[in-house]
Amino acid sequence: MDRLIAGDRAFAPLSLFEIPGTRARIAAEVRDLSAEEVAPPGEAEGWSRTDAMAVLSAREALAHAGVDPGAMPVDLVVGGTTAGMFETEELLAWLSHDPSAIAPLKRMLSHPLSSTADHVRAVVGPFRRVRSVCSACSSGANAVLLGAAWLRAGLSTRVLAGGADGLCRLTYTGFGALAAVDPDPCRPFDRRRAGLNLGEAAAFLLLESEDAARARGAEPIVELRGWATGAEAHHITNPEREGRTAARVMRDALRCAALSPSDLDYVNAHGTATPLNDVMESAALRACLGAEVSRIAVSSSKGQIGHTLGAAGAVEAAITALAIARGVMPPTGGLEEVDPACQLLHLKEAREAPIRAAMSNSFGFGGTDSVLVFTQPDRFPPPLGVGSAPVRRSVVVTAAATIGPLGVLASRGGAAYLEPGPPPPEGPIAFNTGAHLDLARARRLDRAGRLATAAILTAISDAGLGGAAQGAAGADDPAADVAPSRTLPGAIVGASFGSVDASTAYMRRIYDKGAKYASPADFPNLVPSSPVGHASIYLGLRGPVFAMADLGATAEAAMVTAIELITAGEGEVLAAGSVEEASPMVERCLGPICSQVVSCGVRSEGAAVLLFESAARVRERGARPMATVAWWSSWRGDGAGMLAGAPVPVPPGPPEAVAQRVQPSVPTPAAVFVGRKAERIVACLRGSPWAEVPCCTLAPRAGDHEGAGGFAAAAAVAALASGALASVLILGGAPDRGYAILLVAPGDA
Amino acid sequence: MNAQDVRQKLKELMVEELNLEGKTPADIDDAAPLFGEGLGLDSLDALQLAMSVEERFGVRIPEGDEARPIFASVDALVAHILKSTAVA
Repeated sequence: MDRLIAGDRAFAPLSLFEIPGTRARIAAEVRDLSAEEVAPPGEAEGWSRTDAMAVLSAREALAHAGVDPGAMPVDLVVGGTTAGMFETEELLAWLSHDPSAIAPLKRMLSHPLSSTADHVRAVVGPFRRVRSVCSACSSGANAVLLGAAWLRAGLSTRVLAGGADGLCRLTYTGFGALAAVDPDPCRPFDRRRAGLNLGEAAAFLLLESEDAARARGAEPIVELRGWATGAEAHHITNPEREGRTAARVMRDALRCAALSPSDLDYVNAHGTATPLNDVMESAALRACLGAEVSRIAVSSSKGQIGHTLGAAGAVEAAITALAIARGVMPPTGGLEEVDPACQLLHLKEAREAPIRAAMSNSFGFGGTDSVLVFTQPDRFPPPLGVGSAPVRRSVVVTAAATIGPLGVLASRGGAAYLEPGPPPPEGPIAFNTGAHLDLARARRLDRAGRLATAAILTAISDAGLGGAAQGAAGADDPAADVAPSRTLPGAIVGASFGSVDASTAYMRRIYDKGAKYASPADFPNLVPSSPVGHASIYLGLRGPVFAMADLGATAEAAMVTAIELITAGEGEVLAAGSVEEASPMVERCLGPICSQVVSCGVRSEGAAVLLFESAARVRERGARPMATVAWWSSWRGDGAGMLAGAPVPVPPGPPEAVAQRVQPSVPTPAAVFVGRKAERIVACLRGSPWAEVPCCTLAPRAGDHEGAGGFAAAAAVAALASGALASVLILGGAPDRGYAILLVAPGDA
Repeated sequence: MNAQDVRQKLKELMVEELNLEGKTPADIDDAAPLFGEGLGLDSLDALQLAMSVEERFGVRIPEGDEARPIFASVDALVAHILKSTAVA
């Protein structure tokens, strides 16, 4: 922070790697960083620089807060985009030349987005609940937002939330291909700005409920008082010109904080120094702040530390918090002559002044905008309703959709996977894009984007919301600018290993042909949040939109997170699930090494989503839910005893009944549905009354892949909707982690 | 390569690189604007097209405002490619 205030700039010639033909040669690199110094002995090969930065920063945050995760329950959320891409991109490109060499290579342990959270947990934990989120360049802000939602709903007492992203060839060449990089140190908001510089970083904030902090005598740095996230539904790389959504999300965050622009003294802008972002953000700030805009100081930290992508939202949240605590606003490095289109109260030098409240903006690819509002502790009276017992809202399921070996199926169609039948064919499923999506509008979507979009479209149409979502997208619909983002439809969809094959193809091209021929069109599709971002744009989803990753429990992680956000009042209608593509790299390398899948059935592929809504909203719109969320849980570890809190099932029916499609006249009241068969499911059920009810595994029909759990959830919805079952416990997991969702027939909650 | 060959190859390249599914090279109008109206392409397509034209034809397309007249239509782009290859 001292160096930021002093105006130091971190740009220097890139030393980490060399790629001929890149547009720029500089970056804000973290020097002298090695995984060896942070990873446990003998494990460095499976660690990334991203992991190492995350661990160092997580440790510092915990130490500063005086919190020992071994002594009190702490949850963990990590935002990111590339994880171990730097450590694995060369290997991936090499393996694409020789597919016979694809094997469970230990180095690939650092590749999944979830590996950073796993490694932080391994050496800094234990943590109770652990999640990995991605919304491109707003990932770090969304990690903080999820932690805040947990706290306000009383689901957590303490959350370590942040982001981490290391430099890699993929992003370095990708932003170059987009002509978004300034070869010289960048100049946010300057008339001569010519693009961003990349940086790398990790940052964590220890969020704690006020009561818990006071109880242990802790001194708060700041109050995290407001937050909001919403999607532009506009374009995969370009922001809206007038910044309508950015302004809407800023207003949402201020409303959440119960503050007005007159309370704000400082804004830490996204301020990338790209021509489009800075004009858009300036317009959005003017629209949101009104006359106060001439009083409120603005700076961007990216002129000093570069754009740190998935970490940026967390790094800048930390800078904003420290600025308030120290009463110093850091400057915008590189800004000399303000662009007339970016007129704001810019800080060319640091300014000492008390900051009552400040806002931190983060905007990501796909138009995922997130805003956090911090204040001095005790400066403002508590927002209405805060301080009393947290309000938790009931969550229901109003639709499900699957795209798999049995085709594109809406809610009730999911029952097809419960009928006896042959295993699916090996390899990719048949999917005719033109039959489900407009080819011209879907042309930018890769296969994962198309499957995710068609699955969400099927679910929202089945729930009778197709028109609502599309209407909200209308460029001329002023209602969408006024409605709070959390009331608008959103989506949380991820893939266990991101777009590993597309990333491989992209990197192979770089190695074969040079950075000059990096594909600008392919690059934005490589960020883990690309499929859900594309779906948001295509379908006009303008609520919360982001991706999650948690190995073979990604669908379950997305669903549980959607349930938590709606419970906390941070969402009204959220599609959640996963999309998994057939891939030799996943099948023969990532699955075996990361998920310890040694043998499995026919893999196939597919997408599955459930549509979650607040029960109140469903009542208001006169719709009927298909199922009610009665209970959910998530855990790290072997899962033993984790079902202790689950409601007890009604007595079981005949065990053979579930394997077949049962008639409502002979109901099997309760069952357990799982995606893939695993020992850990048995361990988790041991000692629970749920071990006594029939257990149905979906993989033999839906495909034995990472997304099978999503199909289990969709089949559960179908079985409940038809009356075949009264309650279904959906269990999913991957090594050292698990999720449980109890769905019951509507009215039986 | 003559103008006809360049035109055909360029249109094939556009269909492939810009994922103009459901369209054939014959569907692309020689004179219609590439961006905004017409084919409805945008700045991200312009970057992809510039990269792939350089890869396929060995012809660099300048950045920024200088690219505007070259990207006006298929005709204009073909003329630029022919002029640049003739010089080379």
